[in-house]
Amino acid sequence: MNLVLTRIDNRLIHGQVLEAWVPFVRADCIVVANDDIAGNPLKKMMMQVSVPSRIRVEIGTVAESVALLKSTKLDCCRVLLLFGTTADAVSAYREGLVYSRLNLGNLQADKGKERFSCTLFLNPSDLDDLEILDQAGIKITSRCVPAESERSWRKLIPACKGKK
Amino acid sequence: MVASLTIGALVSLVCGLDRVAILQIMISRPIVAAPLTALLLGEPLIGLQIGVMVELLWLARLPVGAAIPPDDTQVAISSSVLAIIMAKTLSASGTELFLLCLLIAIPLGKVGQYFDHYARQYNIRLTKKVDSALENGSLLTAELQHLRGLGSFSLAAIGTYAVIMLGGLLTIPLLWPFLQHPLSHSSGWIQLAFPLVGIAVILGTINVSRALTLFCTSFGMAFLLMWLV
Amino acid sequence: MYLVWYGFSADVVGVEMAIPRKTRIYIWFRLLLLQASWNFERLQGIGFFYCLLPGLKKLYSGEKLLTVSRKYAGYFNTHVYLAPMVAGAVLKLEEDRAQGIVDPALEADDFKEMVAAPYAAIGDALFWGGVRPLAAGVALFFAIKGILWAPLIFLLVYNILPMWFRTVFFARGYRQGMRSVEFIQQHRLPDWAIHTKEAAVVVLGGLSAFMVYSHLNQVGLPSWLGMLTLIPMVILVLVARQGLSPLLLILITGGSIFLIGLFGADMICLLESWGLK
Repeated sequence: MNLVLTRIDNRLIHGQVLEAWVPFVRADCIVVANDDIAGNPLKKMMMQVSVPSRIRVEIGTVAESVALLKSTKLDCCRVLLLFGTTADAVSAYREGLVYSRLNLGNLQADKGKERFSCTLFLNPSDLDDLEILDQAGIKITSRCVPAESERSWRKLIPACKGKK
Repeated sequence: MVASLTIGALVSLVCGLDRVAILQIMISRPIVAAPLTALLLGEPLIGLQIGVMVELLWLARLPVGAAIPPDDTQVAISSSVLAIIMAKTLSASGTELFLLCLLIAIPLGKVGQYFDHYARQYNIRLTKKVDSALENGSLLTAELQHLRGLGSFSLAAIGTYAVIMLGGLLTIPLLWPFLQHPLSHSSGWIQLAFPLVGIAVILGTINVSRALTLFCTSFGMAFLLMWLV
Repeated sequence: MYLVWYGFSADVVGVEMAIPRKTRIYIWFRLLLLQASWNFERLQGIGFFYCLLPGLKKLYSGEKLLTVSRKYAGYFNTHVYLAPMVAGAVLKLEEDRAQGIVDPALEADDFKEMVAAPYAAIGDALFWGGVRPLAAGVALFFAIKGILWAPLIFLLVYNILPMWFRTVFFARGYRQGMRSVEFIQQHRLPDWAIHTKEAAVVVLGGLSAFMVYSHLNQVGLPSWLGMLTLIPMVILVLVARQGLSPLLLILITGGSIFLIGLFGADMICLLESWGLK
């Protein structure tokens, strides 16, 4: 398995991923780990048709995706892995998926969420999730598109330091 | 000069809004905005040359989702206005002058990115107003909030224009005597380098496998054709 | 304007259309203002509500209208040129619901949410990534020749496809509702986007050759030298691939050309002073 980018993005596959990240990391396979999309055939199909046919797309639940990534099926691919929420990223980690870096893309605004950068809105449980991953030695950074500079999540979230 | 500045500001407003807020018929692209400005100021060819140089430079930075590309619209417009004003006040002409204008405008164009960013951030408070208007059952107020967003985008456009113009008007008369002569040795080549760098960045970031092979073949074939014919 | 007319004249005879054509044209114009209040929290959300409102007013009234409006003022973002298609389909679905026909599979707002990101991906690839560099490349040939029509050529070449999507697909979305996604599914638009980008790369290759050739002719150097441009170009592409910004690249390239120019001029002066030339 060759995991070139692991990203949290509530919009999953969209323009930023396909137009900016795929050419930048030269990925040829996108794995979407999301229970909601995997459970809805219509949504799944819509997501698949938005990707050019030379890029392989695998959409599954978090558990399925982790199993797929741990198997040897994707060994020859450069894989871009997408999570919809921080909770999914944590459960993938708990299922035994090894990844060393995590990119924070977009997390949309919602009730109870606080704004940490233009595109990142997090609630306390998201912060806890990120803390768990950070403790596990995963390097978490925020970067919407490759043309932007990378920022460590610690710098975005000074409040979190105070809490500890 | 005041008339030129005002005309420039008007174009910068209209084209700046086309960038994000309304229409998106691409009058905001430098290849359209710069000649348009220059045409209104009576020197369309200067605008065309500036348009050619700026158009491709940031074309690879796509306005995808919440990502904000550098403001090439305002760079193109304000360097056209600067070049035309400076040509009159310094009684200068030629490629060197508008190269210098671009040299000043391009780094200042970065400011446009911040202004655009603030406009989009400021607009967040409109969402609160829309929510409360809908709570109170006042649809008209909710509708009008949407149009108020135009205000912040207009300010961002005009603000970027103003910053670049101010920077240009202050520095170009000072730099011109020193740079005019040295620039004259290489101005034609620098003018050529702008679109080529833009093309290189497009090739480097475009989502096409073997973009480089395609490019080199097409370049070579076109070159051979022109050479032989 | 023909396209606009075509889009709206294609009513299916015999099917009840609750939203009159006049309102739909009004909504179409409002869709040109879709992003006026773009913000980091809802993105196009408020705009989408603003565009749909005239149609919703024909379907609902009173408290019901407010509830529906609140639903559409939430988070939403798709590509500007494909938003009319979403708006059309959503209006159709709302119309069905107002008339009591409810599709058990998918509600109108679920539909909106489902198509938003895929349409955004398709639109970004096709229009920003493909058509824009292609149209710019074509127009620059004329601009370099000093033809003042170049901007108009750009606008014409560029806008054909977006206008087609904005008008015809708005009407189609309203006619077909949920089924409007079939077009996207059948035609593999992302592959079109790749082909457009390949065409753009070829055009840009020709354009570079043309620029280099005309510049060499202008300064009176032998034209075969132009083939050497490929070397710095390949280096620049490889550097750009590493994520270096265009601003930095142009400053480095421009700066080095400037210095070479100065140095070259000094060398010639020096040689002249020695009486060697």
